[in-house]
Amino acid sequence: MRKVLAVIRREFVERVRTRWFWIGTVLGPVLMIAIIGFQMLLAGQGGGHREIALMDRTSTAFGADLASQLQRAIPRFHVVRVAAGAGVADSLLAEVEAKRIDGYLMVSDSTLTDGAAEYRGSNVSSIGDMEQLHAALQRVLFAARLEERGIDTLLVQQAQVTLNLETHKIMGRKLTGESGTQSFMTGFGMAILLFVAILMYGVNVMSSVLEEKTTRVVEVLVSSLKPFQLMVGKVIGAGAVGIVQLSVWIVSAKLLSGAQHRAALANPAAITPSFQFPNIPTATLVIFVLYFLLGYFLYAGIYAAVGAMSSTEAEARQAQVPVQLLLMVPYLSFFALLNDPNSRIAVWLTMIPFWSPIATPVRWGASPFPVIQLVVSLSILLVTVIFVTWVASRIYRVGILMTGKRPSLRELVRWVRTA
Amino acid sequence: MSTPALVVDRVTKRFAGHTAVDALSLSVPSGVIYGLLGPNGAGKSTTIRMILNIYVPDGGSVQLFGEGSGRDHSARVGYLPEERGLYNRMRVIDVLLFLAQMKGLSRRVARGRALEWLDRLGLADWRMRKVNELSKGMQQKVQFISTVLHEPDLLIMDEAFSGLDPVNAQVLKDTVLDLRNRGKTILLSTHIMEQAEKLCDHVGIIARGKKLVDGTLADVKRTHGGRHVLVNFDGARGDADRIFADRRLVTKADASGPFAELELASGADAQDILKALVTSQARLSRFELAEPSLNKIFVDLVGPEAARAAEKPEVAHA
Repeated sequence: MRKVLAVIRREFVERVRTRWFWIGTVLGPVLMIAIIGFQMLLAGQGGGHREIALMDRTSTAFGADLASQLQRAIPRFHVVRVAAGAGVADSLLAEVEAKRIDGYLMVSDSTLTDGAAEYRGSNVSSIGDMEQLHAALQRVLFAARLEERGIDTLLVQQAQVTLNLETHKIMGRKLTGESGTQSFMTGFGMAILLFVAILMYGVNVMSSVLEEKTTRVVEVLVSSLKPFQLMVGKVIGAGAVGIVQLSVWIVSAKLLSGAQHRAALANPAAITPSFQFPNIPTATLVIFVLYFLLGYFLYAGIYAAVGAMSSTEAEARQAQVPVQLLLMVPYLSFFALLNDPNSRIAVWLTMIPFWSPIATPVRWGASPFPVIQLVVSLSILLVTVIFVTWVASRIYRVGILMTGKRPSLRELVRWVRTA
Repeated sequence: MSTPALVVDRVTKRFAGHTAVDALSLSVPSGVIYGLLGPNGAGKSTTIRMILNIYVPDGGSVQLFGEGSGRDHSARVGYLPEERGLYNRMRVIDVLLFLAQMKGLSRRVARGRALEWLDRLGLADWRMRKVNELSKGMQQKVQFISTVLHEPDLLIMDEAFSGLDPVNAQVLKDTVLDLRNRGKTILLSTHIMEQAEKLCDHVGIIARGKKLVDGTLADVKRTHGGRHVLVNFDGARGDADRIFADRRLVTKADASGPFAELELASGADAQDILKALVTSQARLSRFELAEPSLNKIFVDLVGPEAARAAEKPEVAHA
């Protein structure tokens, strides 16, 4: 047991000492700050002043009316009406090019009858601008048509309600403070974090196994402790590094979200960025950590075996591609999971042990499902972890002492059966 | 007689396609330097790995210090594998501490001894350096230290002297002799007979996984060497070739240039050979009755072919 502890200690200390550990640990939070900053920057820009020209081709007063109503609907837009004529479109184009205006809206009589309008500008890719323009234009058109049919202007104005649909997730019977966007971000964040962490620490185990194999240190080690003890020590040591790094990331995410929240309270006028750190419920966090650990053990065992059956770093990198693809399935399906957390696919993803480590926390984060499913999923995963570790340790035992070419699948089966 | 440090009892190891070790039995007495000799591919490393529990024998058993096998006694056994290597990116001192922990030593005790050994082998200033910053020779020394830090009763060295320059080889030899003098047992494998002859008290010669002969060096020489004559010519060889070919006098002659090693036929008198040489006008600078060299015994036993194969690098096999 003391020897296993020494293996764990070495694995942990040597990895924590590397430059990459510190870069990774610090880079995580820095990346988070960068994302928020970037989002705030974008949001800030999105809310800026816009110079819009309205090129009026109508034969009625509708155009002028539209201009003033748009102006009222979107105060940050400055709308100037320009009567259509020869060369007007060209000169407006030149204005846009010279950045004196952001763009121009072309309306004609058919706008009122068919709803046809055209906007040309340098800001068309700004979703915020276009959504506001679209919504305002629709409202004005709606009112204009009703008035045309003789409905009282006041009545129309009263009938027009600005809709503000807030989305809130229901957890159990409680309403959470989480918005739809945040819910999405939670799922997305968990999927990325689980994928990256399981893969990264799994590969760490692989290269550590490979180092001992290529330097032949493994012979000395195996003459002192059982191969299984050595493998378990390695897996736990590298996993401990993972836990430390993940903790740093999660804690800094919590702190950042707190800071962001306070900043939002202090300055309510500021435009809220679209990226907000979600408030993750404890149950989700527990499930996340549980599935990370089990998923890590599952894949670390496989990676240890892959390292043991390879002779060079290049060979190992090639051999681990199928493993990586296996882990990629639930990662890539996170969108489906979030879209419909109770679909048949989602349930299957939760049950298949090679996929559940990523799929289950993501699905739970999107919408908690019956606890019985969770219990079944965990049981399947646990049994698989034990079985895979057993198989991997047998491959490991034979593989670490092998040199030469990589074994075929048939040879691997023989290793497992005779080891 | 005290319990042997190591008993190997009819162990067999088969790998896909061939038998690497075939019902091999050895007995290594306590407190000796035992040379496990054989050409490459003879099964030396495989035998050593079975002794250490790295490989599981397909048949037979290994006993260390009277009971149990390698891993049970890992605290009492030091092992220097054939292919050397350490953790390249670790500091020298950390590697030593870790490997000592694997042998059951506490870090505190290990640190004291490691610093002592590093100092003794001239590596004190390198203890905080990473292994890959050291020269190959230094790395070998560090690895050697790692095998003796826990003061093992049995030290097993596979191809003990391979890759060492003469200076380091001498350091290693001195250290090994010193350990023996303090009552430790050393099992070393080599295919370089000159080294084995100078160092070993006991030898076991194996080829193709089977034991050919074992015993004390003196016994092996007596029973397998016969009576030998060493001859050096000083110019003229006279009728030497004809005399050496006379089977009534000489059973086997190993002549090359001005030197010859002869094995006397039973009942022959060395004086008759001397007389014949002198009368045939040969000029001699040396005529000596001697023990056969270990190399000669080795070549005779394993055959010249296998002995030559021993000069080639070993082909990796598993």
